Amino acid sequence: MEKVEHVIENIYFEVKPIAHAFVFELKQQWKKFISFSVLSVLIVFLMSYVMYALEPTSLLPDTQMDFLDSGLTFLSMFILIFAGCFFFSGIICTEYDKKTGYIIFPKINKFKLIMGKYLGNLTLIIGVVAIYYVTLGLFCWYYYGVSIYLPFLSSFAIAIVYVLAVSSFVTLFSSFMKSVNMTIISTIFILFIGFNIADQLVTVFLPEFEPIYSMQYASNLISSILEQPFPDPRFMDIIMRDFTIRTWLTPTFEVGITVLVIYMVTSLLLASIIFKRRQL
Amino acid sequence: MGMGGPKPNPPPLGFIVPILLLVVIMVIVYYVLKKRKEKRGRAKVRAYEMGVNNIKVDDSNSRASQNIHSTVYETGTNVEDVEIVETPLLAKTSNKDWKKDGVTLKVENLSKNYGNHLAVDNISFEVHKGETIGLVGPNGAGKTTTIKMIAKLLKPTNGRILLRNKHGGLQDINKSSRNLLKFGFLIDIPAFYVKMTAYQVLKYCALLDNYPRDKIDGRIDELLKLFKLYDWKHEKIGTFSKGMTQKLGIIQAIIHDPNIVIMDEPQTGLDPKARIEIRKFIREIQKQGKTIFIASHMLYEISEVCDKIALINHGKIVAFDSIDNLEKSLKTKELNCVLLEPIDSSSLEGVLNKLIEKLEPYLDRELDPEISDIPIKYYPEKKELKLFYDGKEESRGQILKILIKDFESEFTIISYTQPKTSQLERIYSEMITDYEAIKITKPSEQEV
Repeated sequence: MEKVEHVIENIYFEVKPIAHAFVFELKQQWKKFISFSVLSVLIVFLMSYVMYALEPTSLLPDTQMDFLDSGLTFLSMFILIFAGCFFFSGIICTEYDKKTGYIIFPKINKFKLIMGKYLGNLTLIIGVVAIYYVTLGLFCWYYYGVSIYLPFLSSFAIAIVYVLAVSSFVTLFSSFMKSVNMTIISTIFILFIGFNIADQLVTVFLPEFEPIYSMQYASNLISSILEQPFPDPRFMDIIMRDFTIRTWLTPTFEVGITVLVIYMVTSLLLASIIFKRRQL
Repeated sequence: MGMGGPKPNPPPLGFIVPILLLVVIMVIVYYVLKKRKEKRGRAKVRAYEMGVNNIKVDDSNSRASQNIHSTVYETGTNVEDVEIVETPLLAKTSNKDWKKDGVTLKVENLSKNYGNHLAVDNISFEVHKGETIGLVGPNGAGKTTTIKMIAKLLKPTNGRILLRNKHGGLQDINKSSRNLLKFGFLIDIPAFYVKMTAYQVLKYCALLDNYPRDKIDGRIDELLKLFKLYDWKHEKIGTFSKGMTQKLGIIQAIIHDPNIVIMDEPQTGLDPKARIEIRKFIREIQKQGKTIFIASHMLYEISEVCDKIALINHGKIVAFDSIDNLEKSLKTKELNCVLLEPIDSSSLEGVLNKLIEKLEPYLDRELDPEISDIPIKYYPEKKELKLFYDGKEESRGQILKILIKDFESEFTIISYTQPKTSQLERIYSEMITDYEAIKITKPSEQEV
């Protein structure tokens, strides 16, 4: 019994600093959270209400699925990437760039500090995603008057896995970049442009090759999971005069999740190795 | 379920306009208020820095203030408004866990390489309980690297750092940090999370340092009052001046009532008044029997508060002892003679030969080569003669007589002084200043 108490006490002392760092991070980033939440609501409002109100000829999608699909495409394309980059870009490099590490590192194991900060930011960004989904769901209910169906919740779960992958990827950059701004610029560039360029090249030169290396491609699962039945085939062939261009629409559920998890694990592993070697 | 449904009608637009207007108005009001607050903050910092921060804090009911007796310390300076609140800053260190006057911090053969550059070169020293040790050296000497290794921000290339643990033994900090005595660090110019308030950051620091949660608020109030930052408790740190940030840095280092306080350049970037205040605070901590380790390039500031000094240069400790002992061991008497005109270069050799001949009985025969390898130096640019004599009062008189009487035709003395700066300061300044002294090892050269 004494041994169990000792183990529990040890766990408590190990976890306590992470909890403090977590709470402090929430306090530090709450304004960013409010901004992104307001932005999310405004975007959904704009896309789901104003657009249809201003343009009466532009009719709402016929089905609930199409309505949600258009809303979620925007989420995975913009909101998640921007939020991921803005929340996580400073997670490591800011302690070095702003020299706050001199105050904090002697007080807490730096891995615990980053873990607390990571969880704090993750909580906030999941909050933003949840607000987006809830707002979209409310509009869906307003227009279609039917309950939100199960794949919508699956889509939310996949969005969280995607957030984990993006946040880990940005954390990796934050571990070796010198400044927050550089981290934001470089990660946004890679996530927005880098993967798209690679996708285009693969589409042209290797049409048979499914771009499972791409986090962006894996994120298509967020909206495609809504489709009942799941798209099959998962690509679209555009036949030109002399050749055919194959556009891959979505990975399978298993492949998509695996790709995202691999990104997450690899990025965090590399980030921790770099972070361990980095000195103030 | 719910995949389809009737095609909905487009929604009405009428009520969007007032909502958008309301949002725009709210945003404008928010920014106006924010700008006003920032403006007030800047004015407050200016007022604080000008020493007109006379805002009285009415907090008579607080737990901290019940134990505080305000008093004005004698500063020994012309600064009249240095007011320091006398308060139990740090609890008296308990002796029950470890031997009184035992070694608290032990550094053994510590080295640190940055590539091919040896920043710290095999240094060893001990810090005993209750001592205040100063690590003094010019920029780039290895002070901060040493402190960073003690704070575990850098890993030593060689050697080890042993700290006293709660069971009384010495423990290698790089093997385990459990059960070590409580340490407080102030490294470099402190940088904080500028969007957070002083209270939020100090609370965070106290929690990370495992200070009892129920005592944190009282402790923060106590220290903020002591450092005259109480009015800034809920202000964002981004609005603080450099001096205020430095004070906050010291507060965070002692917020958890540590046994040992380690500070790197605590007075850097501060004006004289703030430096005096920081010295007072350090003395306050000393009074509580805490062990203090300070690194600085300001010898005067360090010698004012430290029991022992370690002089460090090029990564090596060149001297480590009490100030008195260092001065004794380096004892040499020095005289500076400033001349009206420089000695004519054509007659310099003859003048210097004559100086040696006439002053020979009074010069220091056992001059420490670390101080100078020759007993007479001449600095043409400064029109100054530096003499190292045997230290006797009568010799000093005789030298003056000779210089006036026998060298009347060669030069005119306008100043004849024994430097006020100690030998220690001189050695230190020689370490960091590239004097343009022209050394003369033979009478034919300019320096004797």
